[in-house]
Order: sequence, then C-alpha cells, then structure tokens
Amino acid sequence: MLLKIQNLTKTYPNGKKALSNVNLDIPNGIFGLLGPNGAGKSSLMRTIAALQESDEGTIFLDDLNVLKQKDEVRKILGYLPQDFGFYPRVTAQDMLNHFAVLKGISNKSERKEVCDALLHQTNLYEVRDKYIGDYSGGMRQRFGIAQALLGNPRIVIVDEPTAGLDPQERNRFHNLLSEIGENVVVILSTHIVDDVKNLCNEMAIMNFGEVLYHGKTNEALNVLNGKVWQAQIAKEEVEDYRNRFKIISSKVSGGKICINTVADTQPDKAFTSVSPDLEDVYFYYINNQQK
Amino acid sequence: MFKEIFLFELKSWFKRPVIYLYFMLYLVGAFLLICAATGAFTGNTQDTNSYMNSASSIAGILNAFNSDFFLGLITTIICVSIMGSCVQKDYQYNIHSLFYSKPITKSSYLIGRFSASFLLSLFALSAIVFGLILGFAIAPNDNGQIGPFSILNYLVPFLTFTVINVFFIGVTFFSLVTYTRNLTTGYVSALVFIVISGIATSMTSDIENETLSAIIDPFGNQALSALTEYWTPSEQNERMVPLQSYVLYNRLVWLGISLLIGFVTYRNFQFSQFLNPVGLKKKKSQEEVKGMKHIQFLFQLPKAKQYFNFKTSIQQLVFLTRFEIKKIVRSVFFMVVIGIAILLMITTHNYQGLIYGTETYPVTYQMLDLGAVLSQFFLIILIIFYSGIVVWRERDNKCDELIYSTPVQTWVLFTSKFLSLVGLVGAVYGAAIITSIALQTYEGYYNYELGLYIFEYYGKRIFSAIVLCAMAAMVQVLVNNKFIGFTLTTLLTFGLQIIYNTTDINNRLIIFNSSGNVLPYSDMNGYGHTLYVFYMYKAYWIGFMMVLVALAMPMWPRLKEKSYKARVKYASKQFQRSYAFMMIIGLAMFLGFGSFIYYNTRILNEYKTNKEQEKEQVDFEKKYKTCLKDLQPRIVSSTVEVDIFPNEQGAKVKGFYYLKNKHKQPISKIYIGMFEPKDIKELKLQTQHSKIIDDAAFGFFGYKLIKPMLPGDSVRLDFTLEHFSHGFSEDGSSTDIVENGTFFNSNALPYIGYNDNMEIADNSTRKKYNLAPKPRMASIDDTTAYGNTYISKDADWIRFEATVSTIPSQIAIAPGYLEKEWESNGRKYFKYKMDRPILNFYSFLSAEYSVLKDKWINPKDPANVVNIEIYYHKNHTYNLDRMVNSTKRSLNYYTAQFSPYQHKQVRIIEFPRYASFAQSFPNTIPYSESIGFIAKVDADDPESIDFPFYVTAHEIGHQWWAHQIIGADVQGSTLMSETMSQYSALMVMEKEYGKPAMKKFLKYEMDDYLTGRAQENRKEVPLMMVENQQYIHYNKGSMIMYSLKDYIGEDSLNSAIRRYLKEKAFQEPPYTTARDFYGQIKRSTPDSLKETLSDLFERIVVFDNKVRSVTVLKTNNQYKVTLLINTGKTKSDSLGKAKDVIVNDWIDIGVFAKNVKNKDQLGKELIFKKYKIVGKEQKLEFTLDEEPYMVGIDPYNKLIDMDPDDNLKTCPKSY
Repeated sequence: MLLKIQNLTKTYPNGKKALSNVNLDIPNGIFGLLGPNGAGKSSLMRTIAALQESDEGTIFLDDLNVLKQKDEVRKILGYLPQDFGFYPRVTAQDMLNHFAVLKGISNKSERKEVCDALLHQTNLYEVRDKYIGDYSGGMRQRFGIAQALLGNPRIVIVDEPTAGLDPQERNRFHNLLSEIGENVVVILSTHIVDDVKNLCNEMAIMNFGEVLYHGKTNEALNVLNGKVWQAQIAKEEVEDYRNRFKIISSKVSGGKICINTVADTQPDKAFTSVSPDLEDVYFYYINNQQK
Repeated sequence: MFKEIFLFELKSWFKRPVIYLYFMLYLVGAFLLICAATGAFTGNTQDTNSYMNSASSIAGILNAFNSDFFLGLITTIICVSIMGSCVQKDYQYNIHSLFYSKPITKSSYLIGRFSASFLLSLFALSAIVFGLILGFAIAPNDNGQIGPFSILNYLVPFLTFTVINVFFIGVTFFSLVTYTRNLTTGYVSALVFIVISGIATSMTSDIENETLSAIIDPFGNQALSALTEYWTPSEQNERMVPLQSYVLYNRLVWLGISLLIGFVTYRNFQFSQFLNPVGLKKKKSQEEVKGMKHIQFLFQLPKAKQYFNFKTSIQQLVFLTRFEIKKIVRSVFFMVVIGIAILLMITTHNYQGLIYGTETYPVTYQMLDLGAVLSQFFLIILIIFYSGIVVWRERDNKCDELIYSTPVQTWVLFTSKFLSLVGLVGAVYGAAIITSIALQTYEGYYNYELGLYIFEYYGKRIFSAIVLCAMAAMVQVLVNNKFIGFTLTTLLTFGLQIIYNTTDINNRLIIFNSSGNVLPYSDMNGYGHTLYVFYMYKAYWIGFMMVLVALAMPMWPRLKEKSYKARVKYASKQFQRSYAFMMIIGLAMFLGFGSFIYYNTRILNEYKTNKEQEKEQVDFEKKYKTCLKDLQPRIVSSTVEVDIFPNEQGAKVKGFYYLKNKHKQPISKIYIGMFEPKDIKELKLQTQHSKIIDDAAFGFFGYKLIKPMLPGDSVRLDFTLEHFSHGFSEDGSSTDIVENGTFFNSNALPYIGYNDNMEIADNSTRKKYNLAPKPRMASIDDTTAYGNTYISKDADWIRFEATVSTIPSQIAIAPGYLEKEWESNGRKYFKYKMDRPILNFYSFLSAEYSVLKDKWINPKDPANVVNIEIYYHKNHTYNLDRMVNSTKRSLNYYTAQFSPYQHKQVRIIEFPRYASFAQSFPNTIPYSESIGFIAKVDADDPESIDFPFYVTAHEIGHQWWAHQIIGADVQGSTLMSETMSQYSALMVMEKEYGKPAMKKFLKYEMDDYLTGRAQENRKEVPLMMVENQQYIHYNKGSMIMYSLKDYIGEDSLNSAIRRYLKEKAFQEPPYTTARDFYGQIKRSTPDSLKETLSDLFERIVVFDNKVRSVTVLKTNNQYKVTLLINTGKTKSDSLGKAKDVIVNDWIDIGVFAKNVKNKDQLGKELIFKKYKIVGKEQKLEFTLDEEPYMVGIDPYNKLIDMDPDDNLKTCPKSY
C-alpha cells in the first residue's frame, strides 16, 4: 500500500501558505513527519484525514482518491489529532463504544469485545469506568490511539502525540505505535527528533509548508556525513560566531555553549568534526530554508 | 490600580464593534417600537387622551426592556455577555493566573471590573432613550397622542428603573459568574427574575395581592402599575413618576438585595478561587501505574466487522440522538429551567381563571392553556439554547476532529441533533402533562383526560416545535457563531412576530411558524371544525424547513474550514441526490400547501386589510348616509324558519317581517341591508316597487314603492338567506355555527334603513377621511334620537315566531315557548312562539345538551309558576344548583320589589368558550362555558364571590332592565339596563350572602372603575351620561347604586324604581332616558341628600378618606376612642383633571370589635353611623363599653375612594 501525495498546495484565506507543492510517497510502516510548530504538518494530516480541502494537488491511497472520496477515506482511517478533547462526564468505556458505533461496528457483542481488547491493549482497562475528563495526559493519548485503532484502519495518522508527555509515558506510547503493524500506513507527526529516530524507517522534514527532506531515516544522516562541525565556546562569543558562521544549532553543555555548523571543510580551528545525528539533519534543513 | 483596570476594561470594549452593535440594536428597537405603537407604519391611529411620551408611559416602556419575555430576554443575553464575560474571559483565555499573580488588590479588581461593565451595560441600554426620543419625534400626531417633549420624562424613569435594574441584574450575574465561572448560571438567574416578574404580574388578578406583587417584582413593573393604575389620563400626562410609596419601597428592597449580594461577593472573593470554581467537579483520578502488560500485536485484536449501509446509519442516528438527549436532560440548565417552568405553572395556576377572585375548576382546556405558557416561552428558550449546545457540542469539547473523521454520514449528525431537540421538547411536554395532572389532583379534580393531553402535546403542539427545532438547528449550522445564532433565532421567533403584529402584515403565509386561524379547544365543541387547518399550516412550514435543511445539511461544519467560501464550495460538492430529493419534496409541500392556504384565505374567503375595511366603511357612509332622511317603516313581526347544519357550519333561513308605517307621513322608499351581504339569496318586498339601490357588495338595497305606504299600513318582506362556511379564512373565523355549540343572533337577518353602526367611530380616523366627528352617543337631550332604543334602530316591540331545525342529536333553541317538536327527513324541528311582543333581539342556538328542569313558584301567588331550564354540556354540572337557586332568588326579589315577570320561563343555555359572556334575550340566556359553568366557589369562605350566582342574577335582572325598560339611543341609557341589572344582582347577592360578600365584590368594582377610567380614550362622563362605557355602567354603577341604597334606604329606592317601571315599561317611542329614571330617584331623596345625589349621578367625584390616627383610653371599664380622620374629595372633568372640593358629606364611621374568627375581617359593629363630615380633618370621640379593635371611615368602601385600604386602622394595644 502506498499513499501518494502530489503537488499538494493549500493557502488559508488570510494568505498564509500552509502547504506548498508537497510531494510525498508514504509506504506501509511508520512514517515520521518532522518539523517545527507551524510547519504545515497538521494541515497535511488534516487534508489526508478528510478534514480539510486543498487548493491543488492529489492524494491517492493506492487507487483511492483521498481528496474526492472522503467517505471512503473515513472508513479506513484512524486519526488522532494534535489537539483534542472528549465529552465531559463520559467514561472511557462509553466513549470508546461511541466511537465504535460511529465507525460502523454494528454488532453489539463484537463492539464490546474489540473495545475491551483495545482498553486492555492501551492499559486503560482498569480505569475504563472513570471519566476521560479526569484522565492524565498520557492516559488521554493512549485512549486517543485506542479510538484511532478501532475498526482495523489501513491508514493511521497521529499528530504530535507525545508532546507534553513524561519520558515514561512517551515510551509507552512508542511501544503502542510500534505494535500497529506492517500492513498499515502510519503517519506520525512530531517536532521531537528522537521520536522519528526511534520509530520511523522513512521520514520527511517540513517547514513553512514545504517538504525539505524526504527519504529513509538512516539515509538522512548520509547527507551530512563528515560535514558537521562542533565547537565549544564561551557565552560571550556566541554573537560573534553567529555572525561568522552559519550555526544550525546551539545548546548549553557544561557551562559552555556547544554550537554546530555544517560545512564541507573545517570552518575554524575551534571546530572539530562530529558524526551527524538526526537532529543536525533537522536543524540543517530548517535553518537552510530560513533565508 | 482601580483606574487602570476600569479604563482598560472600558477601552477594550469600546474598541470592539459589539458594544456599538448592542447600542444600535436598542436604538433601532426602541425606535421601531414607537413607530409601530404610534401607527407610523400602518397609518392607523386611535382616539386617545393619554400622551404616549408621558413619564409613566415611558417608565412602562423602559421596564418592558427588562421584564417583557422577549425584550427582557434580549437584555439578559446582552447584559450577561457584557457583565458575565468580563469575569469569564479571564479564565477562558487562561490569563487568570497571570492576572491574579500581579499586585492587584481585590477591591480594584472587583470594583474596577464591575463598574466598567455596569457603565457599559448602561451605555447600551441608554440607546433605548434615544430611540424613544427619535421615534416620538417622527410619529404621527393627528390624534394628539404625543405630548410636549420633556427630557425629565425619560431621565427620571431611566434612573428609577433601568439603572437600578441593570445594577441589580449586573451584581447578580457578576457574582454568580465569579463564583461558578459559568455563564449559564447568569442566564438562569436572569430567567428567575423574569419569571418572578411574571408571577408578580399574574398575582395581581387577585387584588388582595397588590402590595406583595408590587414589592416582589424585581424590575419594579408591578410597583409602577400599582402606583399609577388609577391615574386618570390628565394625571398620566402631567405627573412625573414619583419615587414614593410602592415604587420607592420596591426600589429600596431590590437595591438593598443587590448591595447585599455585592457585599457578600466582595467579602468572600479570593483570587485563588478562580482556579477552584464552586461546583461539583471531582478531583482528577491518578492512575496507579502498574507494569505494562505483555503487549499483543494489534493484528491479534478481535476482528469486528464494520458496516456502512443505511441500516448502520439509522443505528447511529438512534445512538447519537439518545446520547444527545441524555446529555441535555441531565444538564443543569435544563433541570433549572424545567424547575422554574413548573414552578411558574403552579403559581400561575393559582391565579388562573380567577373571576372576581373566585376560582374556576381546572378543566383540561384550562390546563392546556396553562401549559402554553411553558411552550411559548420556556420551550423556545430551551430550543434556542440547546440548538447552540448540540450543534456545537463536538467543537466545544474539541472532539470535532475525532468525530468528524469517523465514517458517519453528515445527515446522521445533523438529524441526531435535530431529533434530540425534538426529544427535549417531548420531555418538556411530559413535564407539563405531569404537572397539569398533579395540579388537577391537588384541586380534587379527577376527570383526567389523558388522551386529550397526549393529543394536544404530542399530536399537535409538537409540530410547531419541530419547525422551530429545525430552524434553530439550521441557523446554528449556517451561522458560524453560537451567539449570533442565538440572537438570530430569537429574532426569528419572537421578533418577527412583533414586526408582523405592528405593521398590519396579516398574512400567515409569511408569519414564521404560523398555525392558522384555529379555534381553541372547548369542552363543548372539542377542537371543532378547524383542526385540519392547523396541520395545513404546519405541513406548509415543515415543507419550508425541509428545503432549508436540505440546503443546510451539506453545510455541516465537517471540515475545519471556517470561511464561508470554502464551506459553500465544500457543501456544493456534498449536495447529493437525497438532499435534492428532500428539497423537492419540501418545495412541493411548501408550494402545495401554501397554494391551498392561499386559495382558502384569499380566494374562497375574502380577505380585507384593516385599511380596506376602513375604506369600505367610509364609502358606505358617504354613499348611503343620505338615506337617513327618508322615514322607514318599523319591523313589527318576525317569523323565521332556521335550519342549522352544525357539521357543515351552515344555516338556511327563510322568513318574513311585517314592516309597518308608524309615522304620520306616507313612506315611499324602503332600504334594506345585511351585515353579511353574501348570505342573501333572495329579498322580496311584497308590494309593487322599483329598485333604486342594488348594491350587492355592501348588501344594501333601496326600493321605491309604486304605491306609498300610508300611516298604519303594513308590508311584508320575505327573505331567504344561506350561510355556509367554505374552507378557512385568514382571520375572524366565525364561531357562530360550529359542530357543537351554535349561537348566533338576529344580526344575521336583514335590517331596515341605514344603520350607522357601520360607520367608523374613531374620530381621529374620521378626520383622515374628511368625515365630521361623531359623538360616541347622542346627547341625553337630543330628542330626535328618542325614536330608537339603543339596541335597535328598525323596530320597537315585535311579534316573534321561529321554527329551528338541527341534526337529531342536538337541541335547537330560540326565544319563545316550545309549541311543537318533531322529526322529519332525518332532522329535528322545534317550533317556538313568543306570546307577547319582544325587542327585535333574539338568538338561535343548537348543541347536544343535557337539560335540568325546575320550577319557580311565586311565594306571593302560587298560581304564578315559571319554568326554569338549564341546557348544559354533560360534564358541566358543577354550578347548576347555584344557577337554579340564583334564578329563584332573583325572581323572588324582582317580582316583589320591581314588577311582575313578563314571561313564563327562564332558560340558561351554555355555549362554547369562544366568547366569555352571558347575554339576556327574551326568556333565553346564552351563557358561556368559560364563565359560570366551571366556577369553583369556595362555600366555606364568606368573602368568596359566588360568580355563577351573580351572573345569573344579573342576566335575569336584564329581563326587567332591557326587556321591560329600554332606554332611548342616547347617553345614559345603559344606566337603566346594565347598572340596574348590577344593582338587582347586588341586592339578590346581599340577601343570599350578607354584607361581607358585598365588600369584596365592591372592592373589585371600585378597582375596575378606577383602572377603567385611567384608560379612557375619549372622555369620562358622569353615570347619568354614560356612553356604553363598561367601567362606568357596570363598575361605577354598582358602587353608586349601592351607596344610594345606603343613603336613602332600600325601600324608598325600590319604590322609586317601581314608579319608574310602572310609567315606562314596554313603552312605545319616544323612549325613556336616564333623566326620567333620575327624576323618580330624586323624588325619593330627601333634600339633605340632594347634593350627594348630584355627586353620584351628575358628577365625577372621587374621595380620598383615611383614618390618620386613633387612640383609646380605658377608664372604669369604659373605652374612650378618639380618632382623627382626613377626608378629601375631588371633582373631575371629562379628562380626569381633578379639582379639590370641600367635603361636606354624610360618611360612615365605624368602630368594630375584634372578629374572633378572622382578625383581618371586621368584627361586631360597636358604632356604625353616618356622620356629617366637613372639611379636610375631623376629630371624633366615642365612649364604649366594649373593647374596640378597629376603626374606620367608610369602612365598607361604599364611596369611590382613591385608596380604599387606608380607611381602616387597628386600635393601639396599650392605653
């Protein structure tokens, strides 16, 4: 199965360009969509989830015209949006049943069975009688994935699911995602590089509505092989270095500032070559775009 | 800091357009209101004496913006949005923590916020004043309805009412929202106030409650009316609304309550509170983190089959609808509103159907009317409110993306919302039915008509609700803002109605959700023949809504797109064949039923606007008034055959008059007219003639006789008439002939000569058409008018005979004695014949009757027997005994005191509630089901007024006072019919129930008189000159005759009456006037009371008497009572402009012992005597052997007194 996005463009009425000529081929497995806030990830995902129209372009899931056949898309979709809530004073069990009905699982006992299994799977079975409104953030996200998995979806979209979770919860969530299986297209959008590194074979980097990189996660590192240089400098020097070099990232490390830059050759003797990690790739593309 | 917060708040509001929107809304609203009320749109005006821009009138209008159901609601929404959201927004936008951590003091925060929002609300509401000023500036003033401009007339009421009201509701909203952080509580509190105000209004139907209702009305409306209700037109025009008595107390009470609420809020407010609102929220559950279970692979999950067919959609629809209904029914707002509504039903019920303070039985139709309160206001509010909630539920809870990305059909989403609103309605109806039945049970009324309840609510009213639910849901879908949606739907439901009502647009096809011209449910006639009309209109509106809904459904905000362009684009893609199908069906229904309605209301039945009617009247007058100069013969006999067809709502009449020339000159022209021109089949004057007028449109015909009628000659006029109702009409659905309860009178038959009743009576309208002003009645001294009685212009006393036929299950009745009764051709015939001449005033009735028969035997002459018959609806047996008893007592008194009864029977005949009166025809008294038949007289309460007894006595009185004595067609004549019938009934009541019952009755009469004169639109006249004004001939008449009896004694009054009857009963023209009557009274009045007599009959005199103080000294087992009384007396001109005159009258002074049974009622009379009181103040002293408890001047309220309640004073306890 292949999700094929071609020339997708969307401009909001206020003139903001959400998607600009996006082309992506997304195969089965977990696909990482990396980008800062406002990069257009959510727009892209909503467009795939039949919640938004595009101005131009096409999306096909194999033969299915995603933009035109919205009803068909909804039948095979599992979607967990970035920002969501639930009805107040409804228990997890009732809410999941609610979604199951809407997903067309008509048989009552089947519905119960699958809901219970999903609650077990997401480790929420013990608290199924609690109101979702009272759930912690991690529990909510797990519930979110439970509803997305109802009805054997063939395409699962999860938008920034781990934002704001503590490491333990994040871990749990990753485990859940990794279980979804090989035969499903899973699109995970995130601004956390580690999420992609841990979970995704393929990825894309987006910013300002454009796809900056698209390919295998491990191949992404090849782009910067031998080109990443790092220097430890004092705080006062940052300004100076910023003016002289194209700094892609900087972080505080042991009282000093650790800055990375990308260059074919050693830019300065303060820099030493380091092996690139995904974060460098990410910052490289993001910063390169900001002209 | 206060200043910063205050100014920040003001600035931020004034930067936003919404505050100007509110301002404009009020400005335009008030302006339109005035335009409508002054007739600026329609050009219709009415005669009036009162300025519409007087202070009291403006106070009333300003108040309506708080307390009126519709306007008050708008004000509530606006005030909540300003005041409530001032607090709410800090939380809503999550800036509260920021705010509260800054160094702001509590006082500067609270007071700054509140005063700013208070000022903003006042700013918005001040637009009403400007709107009013503008409206009055352009309003037409032909009839002098607008007085000179005075800014104080606006300013003082604004300060007295609006400012305090806004302060009060503001403080409450502000406090509640501060505590609960929930705007809903603000709305609920506002509803509570509007309801309290409504309850206060309904309480006043028992006048004992006036003070209480004046105090508890939060908006001061009842206080205002209690203060100003007796103001005469001239007082209304000239007086400012003073901050005194009721208004002062009311304002103080509510200002006090507001300050208290404000103070408590201030005391208890803590910034930290915002994070922990008062509520029933539970704490967050903490998950016990256990070790993760072994993770299964997801493909191992049990398989569940998904279905995406129509059956699934239906299943989802049922599921979602149930979900929504559950959510609604369990929400706090719903429960509170239902609670309030039930409470209102219960309180309103206490005052429902009160007549002279006497209750009526809670028959089902009354309970259905009661439930209408609920559906007209609360239900609409609930529907509007919940349409916003359900349509926005996913978005408000941020799960729209989750829900809308599931494979559920859009129509399922919309329909579930719509159906849940309908379910809400069903729940409310259920509550209404249960409350109604509970109330009936509570009152010991066990005739439960459950089927009727269910049909009325779930078979009828629900259809109106369905249209409204669809409209509300549709608006919420189309408008992408909940509050604009609320406002829009509110305007559509309440506002449009008002616009239509005030602009003379009288076409139900464009009055949203109209129900057609439908009869109300009556016990006698059920829903009658108009029930289907209701469904025609509903089908029309449902068709209309189907079209709109088919357009709106694809607009469901399934996508995240907010711009209209994008939504419309998406919708056009979504528009499927099924929507088109729905649209076509809807359109077909809309056009089909619309055409059918149009055909019925405009083609089958003629429709005329008010303007067109007016023009016709003018044309008729201009064309034919000249005919008045030709002398006309008089009807001397009428013989008719009337065939009534109840099921076809039709009647055929065949009959003839004999017309006689009673003049001294020959007659050569005869004019004949019909009020219903279309009913004429044939008119045939049995003498050789030529037609000179043949105006079928006006139903007016003129004949020139070849051979003039000589004095004393007679001629026969044959007529054939036919009236059948066709389809249904826009208005004025005739209730004359219905399936069960036909009642029509001789006005349906031809009249002779030009009839000036057809003319426009309103002088300001006459002026517009260049017609000379017309007096309401001819002057009492206009001898040219003595030739006619005030009820008939073409006959004196006639011979009467009628054969009435109807369907076999019914009895048909006309005046006269039943001579023969037979059946033929499947119809039942009744032949009635009158044995003596009667007025040209008779009626025809037909219905399924049960009959009660009894006899009155004259105690003084056992040979004199009168048959008593009551024809009643089978279930209405409650008061038959009272009616029979009243009939007997009346006949006893009237025959003994006045003159013999001219007939040998009295028949009381029930007719449906479409009109609520009783009317006396010769020996025949049609009596509405709604007034006496279902009265519930409390036999244990000595003050309770036996209403059926009174009405019966009054109507039987008319057999003397109208049917023996009939006044000329001039001022004062109703004195001898209505006032004398009142007097007759009063005397019978006094004999039966004693004086205590009189006091309460007379109090109502006085109240009705004083409020009636305040609304006089032409001129008030003394009783002797009464121009058919009800507040004079009934209400003042009762007071005056009772006083007069008290002054000169029952015997001498009745002997004067006897003399008068003897002289004038059954006379031929010229007819008697009030002067003759008054002359006889004068003869029986001693000289010492002649002035008093003039005050009673010839002047408009109002007293203001009170006991100022009383002291009691106890010495040697004797009590010395000293009382200081104040007296006042005014004489008014015709506009109510009062002039003080010196008191010089005989007035009752009473000292009473304590009434051991009920200390609020008067006890034994220790002293009761008339004293001559002179001047403004007088001191009186008595020495008594018994302990006094109460003293009073005019304690029984026999005089007309501006404030009858201060006439009594309780004696101080300590001596």
